[in-house]
Amino acid sequence: MPASRRALVAVGPLLLISAVLFAAGDKKARPINAAQRSMDDDKRIVHALNRFTFGIRPGDVERVRSMGLDKWLDQQLHPEKIDDSILEARLAPFRTLKMSTREMVEDFPPNQVLKAVENGKMGMPSDPGKRALYQSRILAMEENQQQKKDEAAAANNPPPSNQNSAADQDKSTPPDMKADPGMKPDNPDEANLTPEERQQRLKQREDDMYADLGSGASKQPSPPAGAPSPVPPMSRPREAAMYADLQSDTLLEMPPEQRYKSIIKMTPQERLDLARAYRGPRVTELVDGMKPEQQETIEAIMNPQLVVGGELTEAKLLRAVYSERQLEEVMTDFWYNHFNVFIGKGPDRYMITAYERDVIRPHVLGKFKDLLVATAKSPAMLFYLDNWESVGPHSELAVYGNQRPRIVRRGPFGGIYQMPPRPQANKNRPSGLNENYAREIMELHTLGVDGGYTQKDVTELAKVLTGWSIDKPQQGGGFKYNDRAHEPGPKFIFGQRISEGGEKEGMEMLDILAHHPSTAKFISRKLAMRFVSDDPPQSLIDRMADTFQKKDGDIREVLRTMFTSPEFWAADAYRAKVKTPLEFVASAARASGVEIHNALPLVQFVNRMGMPLYGMQPPTGYSMKAETWVNSAALLSRMNFALQLGTGRLAGTNLDPQTLLQGKSPEDAAGALALLESGILAGDVSAQTHAVIEKQMNDPQVTQRRLDDTGRAPNYGAIAGLIMGSPEFQRR
Amino acid sequence: MAITRRVFLKSGALAVIGTNVIPSFLTRAVYGAETQAGGSGKRLVVLFQRGAADGLNIVVPHAEQAYYAMRPSIAIPRPRNGGDSVIDLDGFFGLHPSMTAFKPLWDQGHLAIVHAAGSPDTTRSHFDAQDYMESGTPGVKSTEDGWLNRAVASMKEAQPSPFRAVAMGGALPRTLAGSVPAVAMSDIRGFAVGGRGPGAATASNSFEAMYEQSVDTVLHGTGNETFEAVKMLKSADPEKYTPAAGANYPRGRFGDSLRQVAQLIKANLGVEVAFADIGGWDHHVNEGSVQGQIANLTREFSQAIAALWTDLGDLGENTVIVTMSEFGRTARENGNRGTDHGHANVMFVLGGPVKGGKVYGRWPGLEQDRLYEGRDLAITTDFRQVLGEAVYGHLGSKNLESVFPGFDKADPRYFLKYLG
Repeated sequence: MPASRRALVAVGPLLLISAVLFAAGDKKARPINAAQRSMDDDKRIVHALNRFTFGIRPGDVERVRSMGLDKWLDQQLHPEKIDDSILEARLAPFRTLKMSTREMVEDFPPNQVLKAVENGKMGMPSDPGKRALYQSRILAMEENQQQKKDEAAAANNPPPSNQNSAADQDKSTPPDMKADPGMKPDNPDEANLTPEERQQRLKQREDDMYADLGSGASKQPSPPAGAPSPVPPMSRPREAAMYADLQSDTLLEMPPEQRYKSIIKMTPQERLDLARAYRGPRVTELVDGMKPEQQETIEAIMNPQLVVGGELTEAKLLRAVYSERQLEEVMTDFWYNHFNVFIGKGPDRYMITAYERDVIRPHVLGKFKDLLVATAKSPAMLFYLDNWESVGPHSELAVYGNQRPRIVRRGPFGGIYQMPPRPQANKNRPSGLNENYAREIMELHTLGVDGGYTQKDVTELAKVLTGWSIDKPQQGGGFKYNDRAHEPGPKFIFGQRISEGGEKEGMEMLDILAHHPSTAKFISRKLAMRFVSDDPPQSLIDRMADTFQKKDGDIREVLRTMFTSPEFWAADAYRAKVKTPLEFVASAARASGVEIHNALPLVQFVNRMGMPLYGMQPPTGYSMKAETWVNSAALLSRMNFALQLGTGRLAGTNLDPQTLLQGKSPEDAAGALALLESGILAGDVSAQTHAVIEKQMNDPQVTQRRLDDTGRAPNYGAIAGLIMGSPEFQRR
Repeated sequence: MAITRRVFLKSGALAVIGTNVIPSFLTRAVYGAETQAGGSGKRLVVLFQRGAADGLNIVVPHAEQAYYAMRPSIAIPRPRNGGDSVIDLDGFFGLHPSMTAFKPLWDQGHLAIVHAAGSPDTTRSHFDAQDYMESGTPGVKSTEDGWLNRAVASMKEAQPSPFRAVAMGGALPRTLAGSVPAVAMSDIRGFAVGGRGPGAATASNSFEAMYEQSVDTVLHGTGNETFEAVKMLKSADPEKYTPAAGANYPRGRFGDSLRQVAQLIKANLGVEVAFADIGGWDHHVNEGSVQGQIANLTREFSQAIAALWTDLGDLGENTVIVTMSEFGRTARENGNRGTDHGHANVMFVLGGPVKGGKVYGRWPGLEQDRLYEGRDLAITTDFRQVLGEAVYGHLGSKNLESVFPGFDKADPRYFLKYLG
């Protein structure tokens, strides 16, 4: 019914409202199924907030109602018009978010850079803070190498008695606890570690924080006998650490600036010992009051990469919770996931910050082609899917190796000879065509697996993209087109001839792929799966794909078509989506109004629910379907998170019980429950859940009401926790 | 709608006995024992050595002259009396001397070895090679699920259980990703609601009631399973677990993992497949020989597996344990007394139905012209042939094509026939 569709787009919500009224009237007359029925006004607002944000905050429904849903949606489609200064202030201390990859590599040096400095291939930085960091990191690297040698030697010649040697210390510590990330070489082979260890290395700080959970208000139960005890690892002799501790007592009394300067003036060894003594959550004592840059420098002494990864993941969570530009955040998450890059693959760790900021975010509501081209030229993607080392089998590089094609040499009488290049027998020569990226572009980024391409097309596209490479990936270099690696000759894709044109061939192909009808359908379906349901109606997909093609892949327009479609507002779409772990954690934080001063414990929970941020290894990205996220272990994590958050026991957060009640003072338990239910779930609590919770309202243990102090206001945090862990809250 | 069916089955069984009177974990135990007898009760434990273990120094071809020529400082000396040399197995191959724990298993005929096995993909990247081995689809990056999950999915459910597929560790490994619900846990004591605080029971009961009564079919089903699982674990009383006599798990994460695998299996929770891993095998520098890094790690590795075997006792009869690593290491040692990324490797297969005491597979040799790309042990057995036999012959899944899609040897005639 094209006419009515156009009318819908034009008249918009007015018509929809009348459609609702019509449906409501209709309902009395005869039963209709949920797919045809539409939502009422307030449900529409709740639905829109559930789909276009990371969760509803208390008061959001009222705000949108007074503003008008239409206007709100329009505003969200133009994030640049929304003031987001509160979030920006929160993110200001995370300096890496604004750095280029090169700056990050320099400020938070990986071992390759440290080795280059050690070997004199790179200069030691002149800035005193950076210099101090480099010196201590080089020392840590050397110690680590020495320790490995010692271990080998000790194993060859076992000591007769149990000495306090570094190796022994290490062995007596459970291995998952000895993951002192600063002590491990961070370069060569992350893969040598189990995924858990890998995670641990990245997230050591959070783990420590988690171990510290509840150490404030409630006492942490001591682990049962035989459990791995959280012994802080000390790879250096104990005396050194004790010395560092003694010295730090006076340090902690100094004003921040003086404290920072004293640390910078220490010997590299002292500084490293100090950092080890204050590793994990204790580092906050050491850096208290310092400027962000100083804090980062001190934290990097223990593990530079942790600063980079920590700030990135923390920022993602904070944005989801606090940004006013919610649709932009949702779309950034969506497109990052669509063009997924795994943080754990070598130098990608340093590239992802810039990838999300400069490649994904600027285009999330723009033209699809711009997004595709930007990702294709991003070092993060080129490294992740190996295209940077793909070499055309007949390219100059493949035939002659790294040797220059013409060597100019002065002859014995001053004449110039041009030596013909010799095919190189070097076994380290780049090995050839790598199809990974070409395949994923078609299968995952554009056409979809059934989008109508063949293996031949993949191979030809791989040839087209040879030479799309990176300038020094380990040092944070950018995109570089290397013509010497490019496969010569014409290529044939979808039966079309792509004539030889170097880098231009790739641009031509990306344009074809971005405008392919299969791409329009594939992207539309995926958007509908994110915003409507796991199995979206074909009619909706077709309509969205139609807009995609007519409007040159304009994502904003595709979204507009989606939410002006009746399928979007169909009653059976209401709370039809199960939240992903990120959506769940962010929505709980938003619903509870919690104050997050350290987001890493929340990030850690998202990881444990099976969705490590930036940590999806295969290029498919995370699934958006319910079945992926609903399993026993993850469900337990969700309930535990909800309880910890609600009762204020989640590290890194403060939850004022009054905030849960939206500043109001309910007269009785029933009033309080009503407030909590409307604040957290917009009132969408089932009768069963309500009945279960109602029973708990009078349990003094739950509300922490004290019989000897009846005047004290009950704490409804545990009740909030129960609501957030309920089946209803798992959906959006 | 497997979930609802499962819950229905359970509820049915419980209703007969009377839900309100007898705790459901007790009825589960009764019910479980029945299905146990009727069902297959077969289990597969999969162990991954991450970082590319040096198979040539783990199961040493001590009769190969070339082995000693290529590894002047890290070769393990030929078998001789007085130790510090290869533990001979069959006159050609032998175990690293720190793997004494494996020798009795070999002698008893439980332990088999497959040498020169691996993934045919040519990558020497840990990242890609592990990915391929876990997805079970070498060369195909976009496979979303893991082979072990597909293996479970391809089988009839012997016993309704949330613990059909378990992994030890904080995150679910790629091997177990997929449509069958799989549980990952680093510590089975943490598998509960609300921790051990005073309000924990109240909170747990409240959630249980909510999910039990929920009309949301997906969450209702999984919620019920979850609380059932929590109770099952609690009834297994993991805090009081003592391994069987003689099962001495080494200290460390790997030993802890395998001890908990044994706990889960012995608690009769319906475990069909389990996964654990051990890292640290990437020995580019100072690999060591009779002593050193490789010795320490192989000791931990073999002791933990032997402890698991002892701990399982009679249950070992229905258990197969298989090990793998993403690729092998160069046949020659490098300039740092270590080895670099190579190709073929060794796999261990241990279990009741295994015809052990034998090295399976064709040995390609270590002469220069026999080496893959002139540097690595060549692959003569695809790792999927080994895993496929365990899945088909032991677990009883007949649909190998779905477990290893695109594998042209997904057929019993390519099995090594290491199962009795």
